[in-house]
Amino acid sequence: MSSAVVGGSPTPILRDIYNADKHRKPPTKSFPEWMKENPVHPAAEETQIPTEHEIAQFRKPLRHNVCVELLSEGFHRSFAQMFVLLQRWDGAEEHPHKLHTLQQHLTHAETAEREGQYGEAYDNHMLLARFFTEPEDEWLKHHFLQLALDSARKFKMDSGKREAESNLHMGQVYLQKSQLERAQEHYEVFYHLTLGRTWQDPSGRMHHSRSCEELQKVFTLLGQRLLQEQDYVHAIKMFTKAYEMAKESGDRGSEGEAAYRLGLAYQSAGDQKTAKQFFSVCMEISTTLENTDSLGGTYEAIAKSLESEGKLTEATEFLERFAEISLKSKQDRNLEKASMCLGNILSLRKQYDGAYEHFGRAYEIACNLVSARLQKAQVCAGSARALSMMQAYHRLIETPGRQKIDRIISWKKRRNDTLSAPLEEEMKR
Amino acid sequence: MSATINPLANPKAVKKLCELCQKPAKLQCTKCLVTFYCNSDHQQTDWTSIHEKVCPLLVSIHTPAPFSTLQSDRDHHHKETLKKQKHLLEIAHLEAQRWVSKKRFQEVLPAAVQFLRWAMQVYGSCAVELVPAYLLLAQANIGLGSLSQAHEYLSKAEWTVMKTPGCGNTVLHQLHRTLGRLHAATGKYASALTHFANDVYYASEVFGLASTVTSGGYFLMADVFLKQNKPDVAHSLYTEVANSWHAHLCKMTDGISQSGTQPEECFDESQCVEADQMLRCILEFEEQCVKPHPDQSAMLAHSLAMLWLLCNNYTKALEYGKKAEMLIQGLSEQNKLRESIHNLLQHAEKHLE
Repeated sequence: MSSAVVGGSPTPILRDIYNADKHRKPPTKSFPEWMKENPVHPAAEETQIPTEHEIAQFRKPLRHNVCVELLSEGFHRSFAQMFVLLQRWDGAEEHPHKLHTLQQHLTHAETAEREGQYGEAYDNHMLLARFFTEPEDEWLKHHFLQLALDSARKFKMDSGKREAESNLHMGQVYLQKSQLERAQEHYEVFYHLTLGRTWQDPSGRMHHSRSCEELQKVFTLLGQRLLQEQDYVHAIKMFTKAYEMAKESGDRGSEGEAAYRLGLAYQSAGDQKTAKQFFSVCMEISTTLENTDSLGGTYEAIAKSLESEGKLTEATEFLERFAEISLKSKQDRNLEKASMCLGNILSLRKQYDGAYEHFGRAYEIACNLVSARLQKAQVCAGSARALSMMQAYHRLIETPGRQKIDRIISWKKRRNDTLSAPLEEEMKR
Repeated sequence: MSATINPLANPKAVKKLCELCQKPAKLQCTKCLVTFYCNSDHQQTDWTSIHEKVCPLLVSIHTPAPFSTLQSDRDHHHKETLKKQKHLLEIAHLEAQRWVSKKRFQEVLPAAVQFLRWAMQVYGSCAVELVPAYLLLAQANIGLGSLSQAHEYLSKAEWTVMKTPGCGNTVLHQLHRTLGRLHAATGKYASALTHFANDVYYASEVFGLASTVTSGGYFLMADVFLKQNKPDVAHSLYTEVANSWHAHLCKMTDGISQSGTQPEECFDESQCVEADQMLRCILEFEEQCVKPHPDQSAMLAHSLAMLWLLCNNYTKALEYGKKAEMLIQGLSEQNKLRESIHNLLQHAEKHLE
């Protein structure tokens, strides 16, 4: 029997009961000896039964577990904040790492607050604000920036540097939300705090100049809004403030821009003289900085003021300067604008030839640029040409004469500019 | 009041059992004739606890149904009985709660047992409406010190809650609160805190973060933290409780003074007592604190004064009002608080005249 089993046969399915010795386990010892060999560790036994905590991790939603953890460690303020956030936040379950980060930092912030270490609380809030970078989490970021501001306000040790920084951030938040008045409030606080201090950004930029820049932005936006509502007095006030801010920040470029806008505001209000003052300031700055774009714009604006004052010759002068500059810097669009303006002025003064020249130039550029103003240029050019020919044409029609009629007919056929030529013939006569 | 009955004289297979201990009964209540007791002690306890209030009602429930030929008549009778039973168990519930808040735990038991029995009759033995009864019984037993009995009742409550998955956050919050109390009494502070945490979470879902119910949970948690020797955490929790109660009471007083009417049932007695105990406890803690916060103590005294004013107890209101005024004199700010205290004192004095 055993030889049959041993000799090269496949593994038996059933255990061999006749040769059980080969497969038998070592003889079972008595129970006490076995217990000694395998002592039951009380700790091991307990871990096999899941604790309530572990069960809850499975059964309850994540938000429940996070809240309960916060509370059982005694962080009831963190719990309150988390609860309020979770009520507004629908996608909380899908981002466990966000919830855990929130939990961690909120608890740190609360411990810090309890000990009165508002600086640390501020740091934790800022960390959280920086953590939420996705566009759908914008409101979370704003929330934590607000909290950071609150804790910075309570922190007195660094003479307000953190408060200043958090005011800057809050101002940016409100700017993003287009709530300009609140942004202005925060930026003004920032400005007053940084007045006279040499605090710097991590990138090395002075806080004070930053405050001036931001305030200028806000004032400009406010001023533009007021202009739209046609509240000229207040708009001018806003733009003046913006200009002062720009001057204080020391950035010549923005100073020039601010001067330009202020000038425009005065222009829309109708006060051309003050407008011209500011435009000349802007002109100076642009020339120093060699910014042809703004220079051209300034020339145009000055010309407009002069035009509305009725000083057409000077206006023409400035417009020619504008055209020159645009030509030099090869800015075709501006050149087109300039030519159109020049043409307009000259037609007003009945100098139709000159007007036709400029309109013709504008028309060419408009063709090249495929501009929307093509039709306007066409019309103006055409009308200037017609008006310039008008005089000669009238002369030919008024007094009858065979040659004049010939001339008219040939002109009609060939559309050449030969209408002015008859003058020579008449002179010969 | 009571008549003796002989168990042997009962008809065959009719066993009259004592209301409280379920032993063969020797005494019968003469007012209703349907309640039995084994001795006069039990009768006295039951009378003070609940029988005084429900004695007349029991008669109509225990009378057998009249013979009626129409099904609609029978249905009508059945509905009427059900209504009476529900009314009965509500009375039992309120009574039991009253005794619990007054901390007279011995008197809770008969009332709570009645409540449970009637609820089982009306709703069935595994219904979620039984849970409040179990919780009251458990609380009474914790108060009396029989923690194993309390544990038993709480297990039944937990089981009932588990069998009803959609039972609602109010029931869950109450359950976790009582579980927390049990664990705190047995000394298992960590699990007590977890239960209280669950309690606060559910209460916030139902009542909101600043509600007085949630602050009750915070108060219990603060107690546990004190036992764990973490006074700063406890202090912060107490501040939270004090603030929410103060806000709540201010709102109520303002509402009353604006409408000009007398405060009708703003608080029932049990709530008043509980709130009073809670606020006094916090006030004592503040006074024992190393770093005194007089503004906090003033606010607490003011809250207590308002509470007693709303319960129409003007002497106590005046007492606490004067205390609040004394405490606030040390501070320069808090004008609004000072004003309200002053108004309150005037109001109380006017009523005492």
